[in-house]
Parts: sequence; structure tokens; C-alpha cells
Amino acid sequence: MHYIWKEWKENLRGKGLWLSLSIIALISVSILFRSTALSFDKGFYVLLINLFDSLIYFIPILCLFIGAFSIFQEKEQKTLIMLLTKKDNYQSFLWKKSLALYTIVLAPLLAWFFVYLAFLKFNFVIDGKGYLVFVLSIALLAIVFLQMGACIGSFCRSRMQIVGAAVFVWFYFFFMHDFILLSVLPNVSADNVIWFSLAYFLNPLEAVRMFLETGMGVYSFGHMSNLLQAFMWTKPAYFLIGNLAFWLIVSYLIAILFHRKEGNE
Amino acid sequence: MKKVTLFLFIFSLFFIMKPEKNMAAENLQQRIDSMKEGAVVKLQDRTYEGNLVIRKSMTIIGSKNTVIKGNGHGNVISIKAPHVKLSHLTVEHSSMSRDSEEEYAAIKVYTNGNTIDHIKIRNSFHGIYLSQAHHNTISDNEIHGMGKGEIAGQGNGLQIYYSNHNLLSHNTIEGTRDGMFFTYANNNKIDENHISNTRYGLHYMYSDQNTFKNNIFTMNIGGAAIMNSNHLTLTKNQFIFNYGNQSFGLLLLQANDNHIENNIFYMNQRGIYLDQATRNLFQKNKIMQNQIGIELWASSNQQTFTQNQIVENNFPAIAVAGQGTGNAWSKNGKGNDWGSSFPLTDLNQDGIGDFPVTYQSSLHQLIEDQELTSLFLKSPAITIYEKMNALLGHNEKMFTDRYPLVTKTKSHLPLYIVIVLIGLALLILIKGRHRLCITFGRNGKKI
Repeated sequence: MHYIWKEWKENLRGKGLWLSLSIIALISVSILFRSTALSFDKGFYVLLINLFDSLIYFIPILCLFIGAFSIFQEKEQKTLIMLLTKKDNYQSFLWKKSLALYTIVLAPLLAWFFVYLAFLKFNFVIDGKGYLVFVLSIALLAIVFLQMGACIGSFCRSRMQIVGAAVFVWFYFFFMHDFILLSVLPNVSADNVIWFSLAYFLNPLEAVRMFLETGMGVYSFGHMSNLLQAFMWTKPAYFLIGNLAFWLIVSYLIAILFHRKEGNE
Repeated sequence: MKKVTLFLFIFSLFFIMKPEKNMAAENLQQRIDSMKEGAVVKLQDRTYEGNLVIRKSMTIIGSKNTVIKGNGHGNVISIKAPHVKLSHLTVEHSSMSRDSEEEYAAIKVYTNGNTIDHIKIRNSFHGIYLSQAHHNTISDNEIHGMGKGEIAGQGNGLQIYYSNHNLLSHNTIEGTRDGMFFTYANNNKIDENHISNTRYGLHYMYSDQNTFKNNIFTMNIGGAAIMNSNHLTLTKNQFIFNYGNQSFGLLLLQANDNHIENNIFYMNQRGIYLDQATRNLFQKNKIMQNQIGIELWASSNQQTFTQNQIVENNFPAIAVAGQGTGNAWSKNGKGNDWGSSFPLTDLNQDGIGDFPVTYQSSLHQLIEDQELTSLFLKSPAITIYEKMNALLGHNEKMFTDRYPLVTKTKSHLPLYIVIVLIGLALLILIKGRHRLCITFGRNGKKI
């Protein structure tokens, strides 16, 4: 609880979180304005898919920065050393810090999407389950990239390193991961499609997108070929859970193994 | 005492056996049979047991809670006389058998000139089945299937078989196998139907000269699949959000000489998908925000695309397995509006771009070779893939529009957003120009 309170006060003073949230709010409202023309059937789903497609440009990079700088400032202010010399070790520090980060980022984010729902009600027929799936998707996306950000903040020594690492991670998941898969796509066959599937859903952006689109019922896997059936060997929700578990654990472990207690700045 | 006991025993048997069920069924069938030609039967707010066979021209009108429930064997209502009118009924529980000699339906029509309106259908194999039935009107009906999870085990919302000159309008169909299935059915008029969550909203086989207007196809695996059918007219229909794997708004397969005008293809995986189709005209359609606007296989020839708005698609048009012959991207000096992806100048202000639009892509090879390509159509990585292949010279020409249309789009909102963003940035810069570092950390400490 102390960590959450501390994180909250720090974010109140800093502007990063509010700037990030204002970007998200601005995008949401602008998409809503654009979508008021979608008075035709299923406009609600069209809006949410468009909103998600826009937000994935921002949420990962913002969460990477918020997570990374949050850890890094503990190094800068020497509070990390102080905390670690008392009763905490780095594992418990990172665990509590991560929980605090999730809480501080998700609370206003969820609050915003609750308010946003009220705006939506004026324009569309609301599908409560679909909206829940959407909000859950956004929240999970934020969590996984916050944890990666915390990992970056743990092992980086300077702000420039953080910026470089965060941009690299964002660029990798946004472009490179799928680009590599596209390069090997012609060689995918029934024999190796499961490995391809695992690699595909290792990208949090794809795992969350698939969960969202199938969860809202807009993406259908009816009449699948044998190859596609082998590719989708389990439900999208399980792919997402696996993806989350993998990246949260890997990020946590890397942070613990390679963390540095002090920054250069 | 014995007599009283015997009386009570026999009387109680009536409660156990529930004879009213069979009596009601016999009553309704008997009542229908006993009517004269042209009679009007008004049904009460209750459940009547089917199945029923109508052998005389008559009108049967129900009310809000009138249900005709089949016995699960055969059709619930079979219309075997012409000029029958059914309205305001709920019809349910036909046979779901796929092993029987015929396919069953909630309402099966064998005759001509009937009117079926305001009927709710559920829990049946086919909804309404026109079997060699002509000049019928099927309107304002609601047909609910079992959803996408059950495709093979159920039939179609409207099954039109060897039936001509029918009017199908204002029907709502949801969750059936195909919304409307036509086979060997010509000269039908299909207006303002709303079909969602089916396999194919419209499935067309060997049926010619039908017209479709103002229908809405949403969230189907395929919006409309038109196969082996010619001389159709599709106007002002909406194909929206047919979004799943290998989905499409409109598929033309071995379909020729069709006229597709003023339709909306929005947010489908493929807006229009053409395979082995020839001489089709696409005019004034809006093809927007699809993953692939138009997928044109090499076997498709002599298509004409003119005055269409083909904008904001991830890929505007992809020619797969080579260019077909005789495909034209303009007609009478009017091409298509390709949106901001293809910046144009129009110095003489005639609304036609000063130079042709040519689109090149390398995606066609992947689409041809690997079906999993569809998983990447929304990925930002595909842009890099295209750029990389352009550098390596692997791109091929997908189309050339010699007379692209120049449209002035009114878009105030992006400007508004830009102004707000600039204002926000300025505010932060001015207010905290000496303490930018606290934006992401530093615990509010000034430096």
C-alpha cells in the first residue's frame, strides 16, 4: 500500500502519466467524433476495433516509458538503496513496485473508459460483454508493457539507455517480430505450423488483438482449413494467458538477474 | 362408492394424459381443413401444436404470443395451396434431420402467390423454404438460427429453390447457416433485408437476373457469395464488418455480367473478392477500411471499376496469380477515387488527376502461396515488408488507373486534433521549460 501511495504521489507531481492519459483520452474522443457517422449497424464494434488499432500505437510505448522511468527514479533519488538496505530485497521491491505501477496506471485508465462508456451510450447500442473484453484487452496490454518497462528501468544506467531500450522493444514488437514471421511465412507447413503459431502469439500485440476480436465476436474462425486449425490449436484467451505469463515472468526474471542499483545520472 | 371411485379414476386420467395437446393440434388442422377457400382464421395468444398442412387458399393471422410448434418431424407449416397468407406468428421446432429425403423448414412453400409476413422463426432447420414457388412475398420476418458455432447442423434463413419472381423484403436473419440461399432461382427482388452472424449472408448458385437493393450484411463469414450466376444487380447494399479469417464483403465466383453500384464495403477482410468472374461492372461503390479493398485473381477478366471510392484500405487492390486480361480501372475517362494514399494534382480542375495512379505490391505472392498471410494484413510490419520488397525490386504492378478521380475531402477534425496537441505541447513546454525531466520521473525535483 505504501508503494501504491508513493507511486501515486510521484505521478501526481510528474506529468508523464497525465500526459499519457490525455493522449489516450484525446484519441478516444477523436475516434468517437469520427465514428458518429457510423450510425449503421454494428457501429459500436467498428468504433472499438478502430480505437484499439489506434491505441496500440501509443499504449505500449507510453507504458514502457512509465514503467522504466518509475524504476529509474528510485535509483536516481537513491531511494532504491534505502529500501533495499531496510527489509526489502530486489525481488520484493520489484514485485511491490510492479503492483503499484499497475494500480496507478490502470486506475485512471479504467476510470476513463468508464466515463467513455457514457459517451458511447449516446451514439450506439452497447454490448456490455464486448466492451468488457475491450477494456480488459487494453488493461492487459498496459500490464505487459509496464512490466517490460520496469525490466528496462531495472537494468539501464541512464535515461538515454532507457529511451533506446524502450524504443527498441516497441519497434521490435510493433514491426520486427511480425516482419521476421512474414519472412519465414512461405516455409510454414502443417509440420511446423505449431511453432509458427507459438512465435506469432508471442507478440503481445497479436495475442491481445486476437483475444479482442474473437472475444467481441467480430472475428470468426469458422470453416478453417487444416493448416489454420493446426495454427489455432487452442483458444485465443489461452494464447493471451500464455503470452502474459511468459512476458511477465521473463521481464521479472531479467529485471532481477540484471538489475543495477544505481544510475549514472 | 365404487362408481364414484371409478369416475374419479377415469377423470384423473384426463389430467395425466393431457389430451388437450393432441386435441389442439387436431383442432387447428381440422379447423383449417374445414374452412372454405379464402377464409380468414384468427389464432389466439397461445401455443398450437403442429405440424400443419394448408391445402386451401386462406389467411391465417396470429397475434403477439401465437406460437405454432412443430413435432420435430418434417415441416412445421407446409403450404400446398396458392394465395395463402400467414402473418404474426411464431413458428418453431421443425425437423433438424439431415438424413431425410427432403430438407425441412419452419415454413415450406410449394405454391405460388403466397404472402408470409411478420413471422418469427426459431429452432428450425431452414427458416422459410420456397420450393418451386413463384410470385410469393416474404417480408418482415425474423429468423434466428443457432449461431456461428453450428454451421452444418442447421439450414438457411431463406432457402429459394427453383423459384422465380418472388419479393423478399425487410427480413431479419441471424445466426443461420446462410442468410439467404438461392439455387436456380431467377428474377427475384430482394430489398432491405438485414443479415448477420451467418456463414454467407447471401449464397447464390445458378441464379440469374435477380436484384438486390438496400440489404445489410454484417458480421458474417462472407457477406455475399455469388457463384455461377449472371446478370444480377446489386445496389445500395451494405457489406460491413465481414471480418473473420478469409472473409469477404462480396465474392463473385464464376459470375458474369453483374452490375454492382452504390454499395458500401466497409471493414471487411476483403471488400470484393473476384475469382473466375468476367465482365462485371463496379460503379460508385464505397470500398473503405477493408484489409484488402479488391482481391482480383488472374482468372477474372474484363472487370470495369469506375467512380468507386477506394480509400483507407490497408491494400487498395491486389491482383493475385497475375493480371487478368481486359480489366479496366476507368470508363469513359472516369477512374476511381483512391484517397490520400495516392496524392494527385489537378491543375486543370476537371476532377481527374493529371497523371495516372499506379499501385505496386509484393503481397500477391504471399497471398497466393500461404493462406496464413491474412493474419498479418493489419500488422504494421507489412508496410516494412512492402518497402523492403520495393527496394529489392520484387514488387509488381497491381493496377493502373489512367483517370483517377480527385476529390476534396472535408476533414476538420484532424486539424482540430493537431491544434489541441500543439496547444498541449506548448503548455507543457512553457510551464515546465526548466523542469522537463520531471515529466517522466525525478519525483517533481527541479533541475
